[in-house]
Amino acid sequence: MSARHPTAGARRPLDAALGFVRRHFALLFVLAVFLWSALAILLYRQAGMPPGAKIQLRIAHWQLEGGVRQAFDRMAEEYRKLHPEVAIVQDAIPEGVYGTWLTTQLMGGTASDMIEIGLGVPYNVQLGYLSRYFLPLTPYVNAPNPYNRGTPLAGLPWRKTYKDGMRNSYVEELQQYLTVPLAQFGIRIFYNRDLLRRLTGLDEAPREYRAFLRACETIRAQRDENGRPYTPIASSAYHAGMWDGFMCQPLTYGAVRRVDFNRDGAVGNDELYVGFKTGRIGFDFGPYQARFRMLRQLTAQFQTGFTGLGRDEAVFLFAQQRAVFISTGTWDAGSLLEQARGVFDVGIMDFPAPAADDPEFGAFMEGPVYERPAAGFRFGIARSCKHPEAALDFLRFLGSQRGNQELNAIIGWIPAIEGASVSPLVRAFEPHLEGVFGAMPVDSLGGETSIRWQQLFALFQVNQIDYERMVAQYEPFYLERGAEELAEAIRNRRRSVARDEQFLAGVRELAMSASGAEAASRWIKYRQLTTGRLLARHLGTALLKKRLDEGRAANAVGPYEFSPDVIARVRERIRAQRKERP
Amino acid sequence: MFAHWGLALLGAIVLGGFVSGCRRARPPMEPAVAIRAGWEQFRLGEFGQARKNFETAAAAAPQGSPEHLAALYGLATTWNLQRPGEDPAQAERLYRELIARDATNDLAAWSWLALARMKSLPVAGETPPLEPQVQAYQEALERFPFHPAGEEAFLCQQAARLDQPDETRTREALNALKTFLRTHPQSPWRSAAYALAGHCCAILGLKEERLEAALQAWKTAETDPADPSQDLSWIYWQIATLAEFEVGDFDMAREYYRKLIAEYPTEQRVFLAKQELKRMDELEAQIREEEP
Repeated sequence: MSARHPTAGARRPLDAALGFVRRHFALLFVLAVFLWSALAILLYRQAGMPPGAKIQLRIAHWQLEGGVRQAFDRMAEEYRKLHPEVAIVQDAIPEGVYGTWLTTQLMGGTASDMIEIGLGVPYNVQLGYLSRYFLPLTPYVNAPNPYNRGTPLAGLPWRKTYKDGMRNSYVEELQQYLTVPLAQFGIRIFYNRDLLRRLTGLDEAPREYRAFLRACETIRAQRDENGRPYTPIASSAYHAGMWDGFMCQPLTYGAVRRVDFNRDGAVGNDELYVGFKTGRIGFDFGPYQARFRMLRQLTAQFQTGFTGLGRDEAVFLFAQQRAVFISTGTWDAGSLLEQARGVFDVGIMDFPAPAADDPEFGAFMEGPVYERPAAGFRFGIARSCKHPEAALDFLRFLGSQRGNQELNAIIGWIPAIEGASVSPLVRAFEPHLEGVFGAMPVDSLGGETSIRWQQLFALFQVNQIDYERMVAQYEPFYLERGAEELAEAIRNRRRSVARDEQFLAGVRELAMSASGAEAASRWIKYRQLTTGRLLARHLGTALLKKRLDEGRAANAVGPYEFSPDVIARVRERIRAQRKERP
Repeated sequence: MFAHWGLALLGAIVLGGFVSGCRRARPPMEPAVAIRAGWEQFRLGEFGQARKNFETAAAAAPQGSPEHLAALYGLATTWNLQRPGEDPAQAERLYRELIARDATNDLAAWSWLALARMKSLPVAGETPPLEPQVQAYQEALERFPFHPAGEEAFLCQQAARLDQPDETRTREALNALKTFLRTHPQSPWRSAAYALAGHCCAILGLKEERLEAALQAWKTAETDPADPSQDLSWIYWQIATLAEFEVGDFDMAREYYRKLIAEYPTEQRVFLAKQELKRMDELEAQIREEEP
């Protein structure tokens, strides 16, 4: 019999336990982390529940700009006054990881109840997500929004209370409305009112192009106390496109009358190529030359090296009061104002336009710049939501006239609902619903011409080559390579026929399996889609190709020009009218 | 002692995992349910799952029954249109099996159309030869001249002719469309037929007929009150521009430009429409001045 130490009996279980831990440390560590995570998630989700709340709804978005989270918190509070049982919690996710986050949450079945749509995944993937993981909202957007009661919008279908008729929320591929938009966006110019006054003596920024340029020149000629010159316009690779898009490209609108062969009111990249190839239009077209002359005049007011700078660098220059003007979207307006608060007074203005009698541009600027009213900041309801009726009700609250007005007033954005008043700050951002638009899609026919254009355009922007040299290098390349790229674009369109047939087979089956009024409605939809996607799809292309094959027609009557035959008919009619009523 | 308990605990966790991971035996799916699920999966792009559902339904349904035919049709359509992994030979075999089982069935008509459409699918983006397409559509429309599938086959046949247009083919298509419009006064495809006829007229330079076809296409267009996305702005625009620039009928042009402006005030073409109204006034004023 061996002698035992008195404490040996007590130590044995301890040793055994320690031995077990040593042997299975990795496994136990994983188990502990799992338990901790589960507990943390549970506590995190519970923490958002205020007392009395029975339903928790989570709303996810990527808007980390100033004001958005505060606005949601405030609206959640307002909503709780009406529905004490519902608590709203935000999941604010950074843009950079939004796509990954969205994918993992949806696939894991742990997604937030309401999710902002439109970032992080390609469109085709987004379509898949919308159909698998989100609830169709069509019946609800066709019914009145109860939160509009007592307003002029009472009784109207919800979608008709939107300024854009909820156009962007309808997903044609799925034949459903799937998202609820909550704001509109616009782009305008911000300016440092104090600096403008100090450097130019002007209280307001000039809206007329020449006066604006003169103000820029005056600013550029001045130096600060350290001898550094001021920059009239803070720009960057991000901002330059805004100036081009709102001021220079609209000058090209006149090309519609020359090469909009299918008369759909816009110039397609295929139409423009055929126009170039057949001599109907070219880089010597007055409006096209005007676009680049104006662009040269504007980029001369940007800081040196702007094409190599990012958005933040331009904003920094403006915030540091080294520049007077900066273009910005409503999404940045709140942050920019926050930076200026207490430091300098900020003004907001529309992009300057040339006067009708401007000797250089007046003849080409036919009107204000058209801005399509499109609502964004769109939210869908996840199928995994346990209380979809409550989520829908909250979105109705935010998408009502009063709710939308309040939400956007806090953020500093434009309301998406008709009649919702706009805060004075963003009034200047309200879109122009009538006007001209760019008609020079010379950079998007195919891969090679697009890259070549980008290279040459970048050199033009920084004044390394002039318009003539840019054209001399690009035009022959475009005319030669464009033929193959146009053919490839047509082939790509044909390749998508199988996808369309697949889609139509699904729509047809829905019609076959429906009955009564629903069947009638679905068959109409099927026929409309079949007509658009299969029967008429390639007809325009065939006509365009025919025009291309016919060769040069530099003096041909443009699609919006009166032919001698039409003029003769009008003359004939007027003569006949005079005979009837002398 | 702890080691034993620990191992027992781990064993229990692992066993629990196994048990929870085991799939419960599911009751066999009813054919109708499986077919519905198959189409749902098809629309979601889950073609493997769709095929499984259709195969389940085909196996469970009595041979030649409506469910069996529906399952065959679903399976054939999936093999035909799934991308990637399509199997046209298998699809054709299944469509023909369906037709052989019940040649007068509704789905037989759609199968004939599908067989013809298979001949129209571009290969590597290139248009397939015209004649086999025309013949295949002819087979479908001769068998079902007044069935929606037969009518669709007819329109597809004319669209195929217009895809590679020359004057002879275009005249053939236009004559065929005129006959169709005469013999099918109740067809819901009339608007599409008028649209194709209008395209023929564009190729042949028949301006008045083109405008008339556009007007008829609009008048016979089906409108679905349940569909909120109906947009007629393009049709108004098309009629107005044809009337103005092809026919010189300024009164009609004005009427349709004004409709566009009134009904779609935020549409991109509104500014252009207003410009055109002004241009027509100016041209008329100029001619009045010139006329003695």
